[in-house]
Amino acid sequence: MGKTIECHFWDPALDLESKLDFTYEDIGNNIELKKPVFTVDSLNKIIDNLKKSRKEYLLKIDIPTVLNVIEKVTDMWMDPDYKGRRIAREVLPTVTGFSLQMIESWGFDHFMSILRKDNLPLFGKLQPEEYKEFSELGDGLVKAYGEVNISHSNFDPSVIGHICAGNILGIAAFEMILDKLIDAASWIKVPSEEPVFGALYAKSIEEVDPKLAYSIAILPFEGRNTEVKELLFSRSDIVRATGGEQARVSLTELADKHNIPIAGHWHKFSFITLARDYLDEERASQIAELVSLDVTAWDQQGCFSPQEIFVELGGEVDPLKFSELLADEMETTSIALPKGVNSGKMQVLDGYHQYLKKEMMGDPVKIFPSATHQWLVIYDGTTENIEPSPLFRVIRVKPIEDIMHIPKLVRPIGQFLQTVGVAIPNNRLISFADAIGEVGATNIRAISSMTLQKPWEPWDGRFPLNELFELDNIRWVSISTKDIDKEITKALEQKRSIVNQQLPIDDVSPSEDSTRKFQ
Amino acid sequence: MILFPSDEWIKLFKEELNKSKKYEEVAGDWEGDFLFVISPDEELKQEVIFYVDLWHGKCRDAYLVKNRKTAAFTFKGPYSNWKKVINKELDPIRGLIRGMFTLEGDSKVILEQTKAAQELVNTASQIPVKFEV
Repeated sequence: MGKTIECHFWDPALDLESKLDFTYEDIGNNIELKKPVFTVDSLNKIIDNLKKSRKEYLLKIDIPTVLNVIEKVTDMWMDPDYKGRRIAREVLPTVTGFSLQMIESWGFDHFMSILRKDNLPLFGKLQPEEYKEFSELGDGLVKAYGEVNISHSNFDPSVIGHICAGNILGIAAFEMILDKLIDAASWIKVPSEEPVFGALYAKSIEEVDPKLAYSIAILPFEGRNTEVKELLFSRSDIVRATGGEQARVSLTELADKHNIPIAGHWHKFSFITLARDYLDEERASQIAELVSLDVTAWDQQGCFSPQEIFVELGGEVDPLKFSELLADEMETTSIALPKGVNSGKMQVLDGYHQYLKKEMMGDPVKIFPSATHQWLVIYDGTTENIEPSPLFRVIRVKPIEDIMHIPKLVRPIGQFLQTVGVAIPNNRLISFADAIGEVGATNIRAISSMTLQKPWEPWDGRFPLNELFELDNIRWVSISTKDIDKEITKALEQKRSIVNQQLPIDDVSPSEDSTRKFQ
Repeated sequence: MILFPSDEWIKLFKEELNKSKKYEEVAGDWEGDFLFVISPDEELKQEVIFYVDLWHGKCRDAYLVKNRKTAAFTFKGPYSNWKKVINKELDPIRGLIRGMFTLEGDSKVILEQTKAAQELVNTASQIPVKFEV
């Protein structure tokens, strides 16, 4: 018999284990996922207990106590030998389809390291009138767009529900942490595509502070299970949800029905903008190095993953040459962070054939393919118009006369814009950010960090803590750094450390090498 | 019963704070003065600002500000939220995190002083008050 992984978590004193039925799903590699079959009665008991735990413990402890628990839990997860991380390492590649290297390096080493008490967004509510221009926050800048129009206010939510999308690892941990900072009990619906990490993380909180952990319930249920959702919505003060268009429609309807607010984060579109100033002979390949990381991270599955790259004309290295440099770097980065089992090979091949025809017909197109279909870089000079990528590390490079033309080009999809990865010098960045923020983009980040949200940054235009209390119609736009040059230098060191750590040092194949670090 | 907010109230608050052994103990390493800004809302017509100079477990000075004044920290919120704090219905640190108050100054320093903040509130809540409304 293989390994059985429990995908649920709640206070064991409820003794539901003996009362509920469980399903066991064989997902291959001798791993089976154990999930409860919820009943209305069991869910009511879970929510009652969450409220009790909040009242009897969470409301009585002070914030430093909560912060210390978070710090200890992060310490545990940063240790490669921590048992939770060992289980995750063994199971998550099979569950998620991401490679082990992606989960370990980009997931644990980088994402988890953000969850430090000194990083957490405890600055309270910002006054929009003081941020009418980009102004300092954390180590970056933010600006408020729009006028205050409060549609929901509740500064004391007792139960917060979370419905997490499956494309990004670790959202559940972030949700648990934020709720504890505001004394709210949490239920978290973990995604069907990745139902494991939430319970593992909750159990690590239990190891440090069981009473705190019992204000959390991890509930793996199918999104189509209306009965469960109805009950949970009816007993929550607010629900935060991430998901696609289908989720947006159904969950918004459900929230309306139960007259509760929903903080929704839906389908988004992200892209990269490279200014000519960075495209000199020396720096262009460094920029390509960093861009390759954004395209590679999470196999381009995140809402913050770039789908296109605009390269400004007029640099020493033109967009076509940059595409070639990027292809070289994609190869190197893909060895360090290989694709998982969900390789999207069909999408890569589709992209290849579509653009091969154009190239053969003499269009200003050039394709730079990977020999093993790991990635595909396409130089496309046929149109400046923005187009969605097939994803799975397929990226189009488009020449643009001037980066200030981009806001007009992307305006038609303004409401879907999210992250813009940039290499734009400080003296041009604010005017670009002003314009692209006006159109709808919300997060401007230095290239290579598009998928690494800083805890102080707003998320889709709202601060993740504040939106749990108040929905006020203000759209916050952030720039992840006050000094793009410094950020790029730092990012380059970080990127090279990832690549150097993982690259084979002899003739060992990438797949064999992938086990070396973790044995 | 003393009117809150008033100069009389803040002066009595200073006296009570300086009598508190508990506050002296938990705020022993605190250095920093505050402006407590009470913003007008439906129940308060005009902004009220208290200056409070806290230093190693003692209150060196406290008064109602009539002219411009600066301090290391400015803790600001609407009158209705201050009433909740005075009535011990709201922990000011939690109020800060939730956006019910704003802070100018290093929030990390304040967040490390939750016990001192609680004692400030405990002391304030012991003063019999009548509110504006």
